[in-house]
Amino acid sequence: MPHHEFECSKCIPERKKHAVLKGPGEDLTSALPAGYLNTIPGSISERGCAYCGAKHVIGTPMKDVIHISHGPVGCTYDTWQTKRYISDNDNFQLKYTFATDMKEKHIIFGAEKMLKQNIKEAFKAFPNIKRMSIYQTCASALIGDDINAIAEEIMEEMPDIDIFVCNSPGFRGPSQSGGHHTINIAWIKDKVGQVEPKITSDYVINYVGEYNIQGDQEVMLDYFKRMGIQVLSTFTGNGSYDELRAMQGAHLNVLECARSAEYICNELRVKYGIPRLDIDGFGFEPLSDSLRKIGLFFGIEDRAQKIIDEETARWKPELDWYKERLKGKKVCLWPGGSKLWHWSHVIHEEFGVDVVSVYTKFGHQGDMEKGIARCEEGALAIDDPNELETVEAMLKLKPDVIFTGKRPGEVAKKIRVPYLNAHAYHNGPWKGYEGWVRFARDIYNAIYSPIHRLSYLDISKDEIPTDTGFATQKMVSDANLSETIVSSSTLRQYTGKYDSVSDLRKKTYPTFERQPVETA
Amino acid sequence: MEDSMKDRIAQLENHIMKHCLWQFHSRTWDREKQNEGILTKTMQLLCDEPVKRDTPADRCYWVDAALLAEAFKTRYPWLLKMDKADIKLLMQGLKERMDYVTITGSLNLELTDQHY
Repeated sequence: MPHHEFECSKCIPERKKHAVLKGPGEDLTSALPAGYLNTIPGSISERGCAYCGAKHVIGTPMKDVIHISHGPVGCTYDTWQTKRYISDNDNFQLKYTFATDMKEKHIIFGAEKMLKQNIKEAFKAFPNIKRMSIYQTCASALIGDDINAIAEEIMEEMPDIDIFVCNSPGFRGPSQSGGHHTINIAWIKDKVGQVEPKITSDYVINYVGEYNIQGDQEVMLDYFKRMGIQVLSTFTGNGSYDELRAMQGAHLNVLECARSAEYICNELRVKYGIPRLDIDGFGFEPLSDSLRKIGLFFGIEDRAQKIIDEETARWKPELDWYKERLKGKKVCLWPGGSKLWHWSHVIHEEFGVDVVSVYTKFGHQGDMEKGIARCEEGALAIDDPNELETVEAMLKLKPDVIFTGKRPGEVAKKIRVPYLNAHAYHNGPWKGYEGWVRFARDIYNAIYSPIHRLSYLDISKDEIPTDTGFATQKMVSDANLSETIVSSSTLRQYTGKYDSVSDLRKKTYPTFERQPVETA
Repeated sequence: MEDSMKDRIAQLENHIMKHCLWQFHSRTWDREKQNEGILTKTMQLLCDEPVKRDTPADRCYWVDAALLAEAFKTRYPWLLKMDKADIKLLMQGLKERMDYVTITGSLNLELTDQHY
């Protein structure tokens, strides 16, 4: 096994098995780091906890719900608004967050009464919202508050209310991934099958593992609606609580994030016989293949092809403008989980960048299998890195840009490496054809931003050139391009709007005749 | 000079690894079903044999197989020159290789975990 040992982690020998180099001839049977294990003492991990994984990542994107944490206010504050999962109901779930604000006295005397009071106050403050998710935290789990019993009492007293309880305290697993599992399984066990679905199409899907980051879900919804497909529910971005209680009515589960959401699809397959189709919404080719697969499944592949042709004609010249300027740039692809494999091949293929490292904070070995299989030779794969390791990797690999979260991103800036927010995006959505061009534009802006060139100079010691003027992005990016490329009449920069999502909400769609139902 | 069977299998394997997700379901039992379902149907499509697709599960295998067969034919022109017996041998070899890389030779310790 081609393990990689970081200089800074020699004092933590257990870390060695968490990093491998994909060398020539290496495959998954010889190169795979350990994963989803308890954090090693002494390694300052940057993982989120299982409560964060359940609430912040999976639960809260659900839009028409009061999301309340039963615990200290800090747990809630730290999981509030830091990921841009917008919704088409004026972002209710982003604007408001709720906490019972447990304090020391509640640890001693219990906090069930306070929880009940908080629930009533929350519904009173927002009388139009009738659904709630309650998230257990370490504090309320350790004192043994029976949240389910309180929820049952409330639902008896207030019959128009429905409450989902997620018992995933922070310590329930090595990382936030433990919370993903818990909430997925709890939802299907406790809530799916409670509501009768309203079917309006012959082609009905659940869109699972999509969190509507800056509008991703709405972009994909646009394609599905243009194909005449009814999206019965989205788990969970921009998703509605009651629609998600009716998931059993779909003909197909379309699975986007096969890390956190595959379990719910597997359970729906076992319990209701709904098959699962894994798709990729990022990148022209993977997205086109995904639309074609869904089209083929329903026998409406012509509708998928129409969208692919229209969108490709509209956006490909813009994608290629950026590709010419991004070719050969080195990228550290350091997201949390699924984007490590969603992007590792397609950014090389469609943006021309070279992935020199992949990492995952909370992914499992299955995520690493996909990521390593998809990236090119020579990439360094790291599981659950600590901050010193990422700094060492950046100094060694000298990436032109890294795609990661805010915390490691800010560290990268300090050593003059530009970063893009892989979790919440810079100027998303990044899904869909237009979204993919927006991603390319963000990479271009990151790499060629004049600020990075200026910041390389230290005015206390470096010689400041006075004989050259200010270099714009284009002067730098086009310096070594051929005249044919620079003056191409077909290639062009992004021409979409600043906001590419709001118009989708006003759009009207064609109606497709439904097939008559056969009667015996 | 014609590529050897092993090289050809490696090319097809590389395509699957770079472009597909179906081979990486989370548990051994699931991966066995996926490899069997999709690669068998891909072989049938490449050999112009009838493909069963009357259940939702079969339809799912079939759509992945349809895209895979099309990609193989487009990207690897040597496939079009092979006779059906050789295609079957090739696909059998590919299936064995995929089973090894994703199941029997896999270093993923979660594959046999009974719980999610």
